[in-house]
Amino acid sequence: MTVPAPAWRTAALRLAVGNVDVTRQQRALSDLLERGQDCGPEQVVAALERHGGCPDADVRRVQRRMAALGARFVLVGDVQYPAPLATAWPELGAPLWLFAAGGPVRLVTTPAVAIVGTRRPTLDGLRTARTLATALARAGVVVVSGLARGIDQEAHRAALDAGGDTIAVLGTGFGVDYPGGSATLRAAIADHGALLTELAPGAGPRPWQFLARNRIISGLAAATVVVEGGPTSGALQTARLAAGQGRDVWAVPGSINAQNSQAPLALLRDGASLLTSVDDLLDSLALSRSCAAGVTGAAADGGTPPTALSADARLILGLLGAVPATTDELVAASRLPAHAAMVAIGELVEAGCGVTTPSGVVRA
Amino acid sequence: MPSAEPAVGRARSAAVVGLTALEVSIEVSMSAGLPSFSVIGTVGAAARQAADRVRAALTATGVRLPPRKILASFAPADVPTAGASFDLPLAVAVLVRLGVLPASLAEDTAFLGELGLDGGVRPVPAVLPAARCIADAGVGRLFVSGANAAEAALIGGLQVVPVSTVADVIDVCTGARRAAAIPEPPPAPAAAVPDMRDVRGQAEARRALEIAAAGGHHMLLLGPPGCGKSMLASRLPGLLPALDDRRALELAAVRSVAGLLSGSGHAALDRRPPLRRPHHATTAAALLGGGSGVALPGEISLAHHGVLFLDELFEWPRRLLDALREPVEEGVVRIARARATVTYPAVFQLVCAANPCPCGGAGTCECSDADVWAYRRRLSGPLADRVDLAPRLTPLLADDLVGAPAGESTAVIAARVAAARAMAAVRWGGCNARATPADVRATADPAALRTLGRAVEDGVLSGRGFDRALRVARTCADLDRCPTVQRGHVFEALAHRAGLRDTGREISVARSAMAPGQVR
Repeated sequence: MTVPAPAWRTAALRLAVGNVDVTRQQRALSDLLERGQDCGPEQVVAALERHGGCPDADVRRVQRRMAALGARFVLVGDVQYPAPLATAWPELGAPLWLFAAGGPVRLVTTPAVAIVGTRRPTLDGLRTARTLATALARAGVVVVSGLARGIDQEAHRAALDAGGDTIAVLGTGFGVDYPGGSATLRAAIADHGALLTELAPGAGPRPWQFLARNRIISGLAAATVVVEGGPTSGALQTARLAAGQGRDVWAVPGSINAQNSQAPLALLRDGASLLTSVDDLLDSLALSRSCAAGVTGAAADGGTPPTALSADARLILGLLGAVPATTDELVAASRLPAHAAMVAIGELVEAGCGVTTPSGVVRA
Repeated sequence: MPSAEPAVGRARSAAVVGLTALEVSIEVSMSAGLPSFSVIGTVGAAARQAADRVRAALTATGVRLPPRKILASFAPADVPTAGASFDLPLAVAVLVRLGVLPASLAEDTAFLGELGLDGGVRPVPAVLPAARCIADAGVGRLFVSGANAAEAALIGGLQVVPVSTVADVIDVCTGARRAAAIPEPPPAPAAAVPDMRDVRGQAEARRALEIAAAGGHHMLLLGPPGCGKSMLASRLPGLLPALDDRRALELAAVRSVAGLLSGSGHAALDRRPPLRRPHHATTAAALLGGGSGVALPGEISLAHHGVLFLDELFEWPRRLLDALREPVEEGVVRIARARATVTYPAVFQLVCAANPCPCGGAGTCECSDADVWAYRRRLSGPLADRVDLAPRLTPLLADDLVGAPAGESTAVIAARVAAARAMAAVRWGGCNARATPADVRATADPAALRTLGRAVEDGVLSGRGFDRALRVARTCADLDRCPTVQRGHVFEALAHRAGLRDTGREISVARSAMAPGQVR
């Protein structure tokens, strides 16, 4: 493809600044497709201009603002446009344009994996996200997520902590502090990865933007992993979009009793791949298995409790799982006296075999 | 009847400031001048109006005041005398001045009581501390209203004379009639002492309550609405040992000053540890003690040697919880008011209750762990490092209510508590919660101390929490009848703190990962 000519580039930026959303892009696209016309980016931009366009958009001001924010405007077909996303153009929902900040995000040779999940994770979910992101980052995979609180941010942080690259796709424009308090993380991602959004600088958070943003997350990644999510989680939608774009969907299983397992369990029922360890994922990406000890978390060293534990502690340990168990439940199940059960719980926590959460004890 | 009229009529009484009583002498003189009756001294409004009540009461009794200038003086003049308890001694001083009663009365008799306009003698608050002061001053006899008699009789070595009218006083003092017997107080209402047997399930909370009772530790009950937090809290006093003479009298004095004894008038000392449960809309004055002029005892002092239950801890204003810190540490509360600064005892055991998480925790809770920890930190903030046991209560299912076997009864648990308390009393003469860190450490096994030390290194415990957890472990050992604190006791103590704040490495990892500025 040739480098787009400046004239329609400016037109595209004008459309972006005028908040021409994904719906209008799709409509213009489908018009072109129906008429059997060529639907390259240039043609779509021209069609959008014909359908009203955004003559009032103050492109100059936005260009100044982009310069101040260090943001670039990238169009489909640009060298800088992420390669995996370009394959989803035009029918599979790839955005016509992107605003990018940070490093290059070509993703031609490096695969990317999206890790998504609930904004209200359990400790176990956070740990899973961290374990996966760390292993992926060490294997040279770019971790993609949506910068939301909870699983998303944990994945970004873990990738950064492991010295890897990570891409955050925002549901707002640049220059908006959203989610609140993520400024430091955004800066770190811009330094060691990239921030992407299809929204013009200054666009505030709107619910539909986050749903639209999810198709970019799934489109960037070769595989999407859903760690935790409730029955109506946005992660479900990301996973379904990924499936629609022909990408792999992985789900981390959980207890059927846990609210946060509902999204991954629903995906597993619908045919998502079952993630039992990060190696499953690396194998499918044809990458070398994670060799770093400890990266795989509990699964690697679980199963054999330390022999130094007392009999009571071993009894209680056998009852612990990923879903928090209250002391009363453990007392009832173990038939130990309350004080003996609590001694055992204290012993397990001290030995690192159990972890206390606000709602009970889980197996470490 | 003695006919000689002394120049000055005197009568003895006592004024109570806070819990301290001071002897007061009331003098009455009559001189030529415009007919009047005035009271001088540091007197409150009620005492100033005493003159009018005394005049009416004496008239009703058939004693006519001469048309002269009558001056009554409260001495010493700088003792703040508030309330109406000086009506009776003032009337007696007038009667002595008039020669109706003998002047020798002032030598060995004191009076306390409010007068009605009909000459009746009414009960007044704070009789107990006043009676003690009168007995200490070597006075042998005290006249009070019948309703105050049982309360005053708690002080040994004092002949308490119950009277119902001024005419009674005249009759008894002049020997016309024998002193009436102290009226038999109505039997104490058989208060249904709630029993632990009614508590189904709740293994963790039951155990925590037993430890709290045995060691005197403060606790925080965490549970969704309706799971039985108040039910458990109301059963703690039943597990505590009965108050000994000294403690029961201290509590009775506080109650007396608060005016809670005069109505009930139970003869026997109430030895049951009190339970006070102020509402979260309570004012600082009602909680800590207050009032104009001289402060009256508040809820924390009425909970002296008992239990102060703060339900819905999250609803309590931070200001009030902060104000609780000093009394919790020192066992007393000092309140300064315009007329006097008073100190009331407030050695109480704190039991707080709160929902386990921001959403209330009923049904399916969707609060994230991070949200819950933030909530708990906010919850325990003002009282953090003072609460040592934080059991989580589970909401009861219908099956539990119907089918579960009854738990151990209060009597069985109280026996274990008493045995554990006895071990602590032999060791350091008090409960474990108030033992010094050095003393407790000296009774701990080195392995137990190492375990606690590791908990501090791991961030499970704060440095201050080290000794607090050790005290709880000491109580676990006492319940175990074990002279030294073993590792197991420390484990249990740590498990009882688990609901309190972030414990465990995973959480510190998660938190540091969530804190901004710690990305790199």
